[in-house]
Amino acid sequence: MTTQDRVERKKRNEMLTNLRKQHPERVKISQAKLKEQRSIRKTLQQVLKTKPHTIPQLAEATGLPAHQVLWYISIMKKYGKVVETGLDEDYEYYLYGLTRETE
Amino acid sequence: MKSDKIHVDTLVVGGGIAGMQASLDLANQGHQVALVEHSPSIGGMMIGLSKVFPTLDCCSCITTPKMAATAHHENIQLLTYCEVQSVTRNDDGFSVQVIQKPRYVIEDNCTGCRSCELVCPLDLPDVENEFGRTAHRVIYVPFTTAVPQKAIIDIDSCIFCGKCIKACPADCIDFTQTPQTLRVEARTIILATGFKVTPYDAKKEYGAGNLRNVIDAMMMERLLAPTGPYGRVLRPSDGKLPDSIAYVQCAGSRDETLGVPYCSRVCCMYAIKQAMLISGALPMADVTIYYMDIRTFGKGYEQFYQNAKAMGIEFVKGKVGRIVEDEDQNPIVRVELIDDNSRVAENKHDLVVLSVGMLPGYDTQPIYDVATAKDGFVQIPDSNVAPTVTTQEGIFATGTATGPMDIVDSIITAGAVAAEASAYMHLHSGSPAAPAAD
Ligand SMILES: Cc1cc2nc3c(=O)[nH]c(=O)nc-3n(C[C@H](O)[C@H](O)[C@H](O)COP(=O)(O)OP(=O)(O)OC[C@H]3O[C@@H](n4cnc5c(N)ncnc54)[C@H](O)[C@@H]3O)c2cc1C
Ligand code: SF4
Ligand code: SF4
Repeated sequence: MTTQDRVERKKRNEMLTNLRKQHPERVKISQAKLKEQRSIRKTLQQVLKTKPHTIPQLAEATGLPAHQVLWYISIMKKYGKVVETGLDEDYEYYLYGLTRETE
Repeated sequence: MKSDKIHVDTLVVGGGIAGMQASLDLANQGHQVALVEHSPSIGGMMIGLSKVFPTLDCCSCITTPKMAATAHHENIQLLTYCEVQSVTRNDDGFSVQVIQKPRYVIEDNCTGCRSCELVCPLDLPDVENEFGRTAHRVIYVPFTTAVPQKAIIDIDSCIFCGKCIKACPADCIDFTQTPQTLRVEARTIILATGFKVTPYDAKKEYGAGNLRNVIDAMMMERLLAPTGPYGRVLRPSDGKLPDSIAYVQCAGSRDETLGVPYCSRVCCMYAIKQAMLISGALPMADVTIYYMDIRTFGKGYEQFYQNAKAMGIEFVKGKVGRIVEDEDQNPIVRVELIDDNSRVAENKHDLVVLSVGMLPGYDTQPIYDVATAKDGFVQIPDSNVAPTVTTQEGIFATGTATGPMDIVDSIITAGAVAAEASAYMHLHSGSPAAPAAD
């Protein structure tokens, strides 16, 4: 890292700190949301590490409502963390597993 | 870089199919056009649809080239993420004040690569495009075929972690942006502000939006689209592949209690289309359409309906009085069966779709002083003779801004409005067209 890079980084960090200070309330709300999202994503990933699951199976394993699990899985699928691996034996639900990169 | 003063022949307001087509038709005649769209992308409702009746063409495949043609036309200036603030009449036409809302991303530099979106840590429900069924990040490109492909930051949710700044290869992030004022001088204005759907939670009898497996038809369009929230039709409560799907027609139109006494014209046809698409996507599923009358008014539309019947889609003439759910969140439809001596039946389905109607997308009265009719759509005083001429001289209207209609009619009225505005400008430029030879 060159001296100029270091100066730039310092300036950027100062700017971000100032922005956080200017909007403390909304930053706090978003940080709380982020904390919750990280914890739910981690829990889902831990369950999925064992084997692919359907939405109701994930709901049962995590204690989360099924619609909320579906929301998280749709996002994890969109951003490449999760893939469909096939259907369950009754052909009613898709099974979801972690992508190689996430495993 | 946008200039803060723009001179054009026509300002088109609204970048749905009607606004895009009107802009293209004028631009192809050599007129200069500015197209103002308040969302971050043009495309309107049509870009969110799966396939279109009656041809079942992929909607994205026909809308995206139009969006690109509009954005790249040398005679069209695209002003996305902009709002018209005021309109003043002057000797040459109109002076219009437009506010460019900040994206917090330098538009000219952004390539839409999405590197920022991939590293941004916080998910927000994608309400604008996916009805909250999935999410985008705090910084995001609105959708895969958005035009322009530019990122935008939902600043109210940002935690200012700086990850996007580090990831962006083009140095685009700019937290200092503020709203900018542009002035557009235009000789004519075209209103193409479109429609919104009637609220699906309006009717207490249909669950008031509280039943997870009762959705509206626009949500179903997204479930059917390959780019939709799940990439397939799954029911929202638990991701089940639905085996039994029902449509409730006129669930927002022809209903005095909702203040929508008119027929929205497209709901019968889109329900038939969706039923056909479901039959393709879920071959084992039963699809039932509860209806009072089926209205198939356009060219090839009656044949489309007959084809749907032949495919095994069940059309049940009945009045749906109530929808409740059982302990597994399966919707139970209570229906009076008109063709069965008005017997009342209770039918269980996995998913129910409300065929919601059309409401005006925007009230044109306050800013444009353009009168609206009783139903709230732009008033067209002489609709049989001049279907795009409003109560204000020099201001015209097209598409669903003037009332419910389908895509074909929206495109037809877009051609008509372009011709009307062009003729008006010709007449008012003091150089009338040469008389045609006998
Ligand atoms: C569920 C469903 C399915 C359908 N399926 C079909 C089908 O298969 N085939 C078919 O022919 N038709 C179908 N339709 C009808 C079709 O969607 C409409 O005919 C068409 O989209 C109308 O286009 P428009 O440009 O008039 O309006 P819109 O698509 O609503 O575009 C209006 C644009 O104006 C913008 N806007 C609004 N107010 C302002 C403002 N104040 N300033 C700046 N911009 C503004 C909006 O953001 C939007 O981009 C369907 C409709 C629904 C609800
Ligand atoms: S600064 Fe804001 S937009 Fe950028 S990555 Fe962090 S939360 Fe996302
Ligand atoms: S802001 Fe930067 S990283 Fe994000 S899409 Fe634009 S160019 Fe890519």
